[in-house]
Amino acid sequence: MQNVVERVLNLLIYLLESPTPVTSNDVRNTVHGYADQSDEAFHRMFERDKQVLRRLGVPLKLEALDPWEIDEGYTVDPEEYAIGDPGFTKEERVALSVAARMVRLGGAEAGVGAIIKLGGLEHGAGGIEPLAADLGEGADALGELFGAIADRRKIDFSYREQTRTVAPYGIAHRRGHWYLVGNIAEGERMYRVDRISNLTVGEMANSFSKPKGFDIKAAVNAQPWEAGADPVIKASVRFDEDVAWWAARSLGVAEPHGELATEVEVANRDAFVGWVLSFGTSAEVLAPDEMREAVVARVRDALEQAG
Amino acid sequence: MTSRRTVSRISRILALIPYVLDRSTVDVEEVIDRFGYTREQLTRDLNTIFVCGLPGYGPGDLMEAYMDEDEVVIDAADFFGKAPRLTPAEALGLLAAGMTVIGSGEASPELESAVRKLTKAVMPDADTTLTVDVIDESQNVGVLRDAAANAKVVHITYRSVAKEETTERDIEPWSVFAALGRWYVLGHCRLVDDQRTFRIDRIKELEVEDEVFERPKRVPEPGVGYVAQEGDIVCTIDLKPAARWVLEYYPVEVLAEKETSSRIRFSSPDTEVPARLLLRLGTDAKLVDGDEVRERVREMGESLLATYR
Repeated sequence: MQNVVERVLNLLIYLLESPTPVTSNDVRNTVHGYADQSDEAFHRMFERDKQVLRRLGVPLKLEALDPWEIDEGYTVDPEEYAIGDPGFTKEERVALSVAARMVRLGGAEAGVGAIIKLGGLEHGAGGIEPLAADLGEGADALGELFGAIADRRKIDFSYREQTRTVAPYGIAHRRGHWYLVGNIAEGERMYRVDRISNLTVGEMANSFSKPKGFDIKAAVNAQPWEAGADPVIKASVRFDEDVAWWAARSLGVAEPHGELATEVEVANRDAFVGWVLSFGTSAEVLAPDEMREAVVARVRDALEQAG
Repeated sequence: MTSRRTVSRISRILALIPYVLDRSTVDVEEVIDRFGYTREQLTRDLNTIFVCGLPGYGPGDLMEAYMDEDEVVIDAADFFGKAPRLTPAEALGLLAAGMTVIGSGEASPELESAVRKLTKAVMPDADTTLTVDVIDESQNVGVLRDAAANAKVVHITYRSVAKEETTERDIEPWSVFAALGRWYVLGHCRLVDDQRTFRIDRIKELEVEDEVFERPKRVPEPGVGYVAQEGDIVCTIDLKPAARWVLEYYPVEVLAEKETSSRIRFSSPDTEVPARLLLRLGTDAKLVDGDEVRERVREMGESLLATYR
């Protein structure tokens, strides 16, 4: 590890300081740590070190050295290399540092890698911080997806034993899982990130354009009965006192004293019927009749299944 | 492949150098705090910096880096005047962390403006591209967080997930955490005299009391999930693919998983929860085993049919 760290630092300094692109031969003959290696060992080492540079966020580029593009050389533009200054105040840095340590992603503190690059962790008043959040697994794939979304690169992956090519629009964490929303030929689709495998990101940036007004929050609808293709209807529903406050929170309406009678816009009837029945006998759909009938039909189905 | 540890070590070195270069004097303790170093790690990294530099690698080419009493000194490293820019994974991690805390309702205005600035810097349309939905609809996360920080006993009215019943109890909140998209409070429950985890959105009412409790020396790692207990009602259910969400929503034991159906074992303190589940699933689920639950489905179903008649 010590050798790798030194070699990568020396390589990066060489690339940042070279006024013109450098070939792999230049690297081999110049940078400390690569000499005295067989051809094969050198190439393996160099490939690995380039990979490390990319994982560090170094914008390593390959450029033609002559108009005929016979020789190619590596280059790192110092301007492009440098992190921008978001212009945080001291208080903002403290707030971000606290958040970075509170939230875990993929088993590690989600934001600390970024905070270190932005100048390190800022310590506030201290004391016990009892708040924490775990955003589950999938940090590596999420990073790649986020990069692809930023650069508008198409991606390929396997999902439920099928290969898909998707124009990625956004990612969302919802109910404990990460989802990717993207576009395939047939329209917008949602995928669970932890079920994505064999992900490859396309070479070409700006290979699609996102529809104007796309908003990930609208794409992953808050409630299952709002996400559907049924014509939207208003359903009137009543909840008993003991569950009324709980239903009100799910619906995002004011918590009542006593029972709750309210109207809900429904675009997915199956999902709505299921949700109402999750309250057992403590909820009743009052109108329209077709929705009442849908509840009755579901109950009959369940009774038949129970035998 | 080179390990993640090596990459983070180099990343930290590339952030440390510009930080020190930017300042006339930098205290060792401050660097240790700020970059999460131990003294040994910092010494090792400074020694590494010290042997790297420009090709030629003679005395005038190498960087300078050492500890002088309680000061960190780095020089001749102008090419590392700035840290490398954030990788997408790093940017996502920090944005998601900020958005999560904002979702808790516990964010300061400073965090909100920081996330806005960060968004602008890394991806101008990130607010329509990335969302972290761990929302606290109850707005009690903050109250419970403060109670946990100050070790105050809290009286809650709680609707149990496992039992579908409402109870009142005093709890000693230890920590407040989000997992699986929801907020929870972990603590000692005086009603059952044991450690319990409560879903915050299911706390109907709460009142912070004056009494201060003694916090355990080590607060256990938060975790969620129903632990089956003796005397539980157990039933076996076959789920069609359309009902697979149940596997993620309820703490169930998966007995068999096939393309066309999944068989699960469902444990709960009473028959209410599985009966409601079976009713809402209709033809998407079939009760394989569990006569008490079957009886309850019939009872509830008939009662519902009477209501809708």
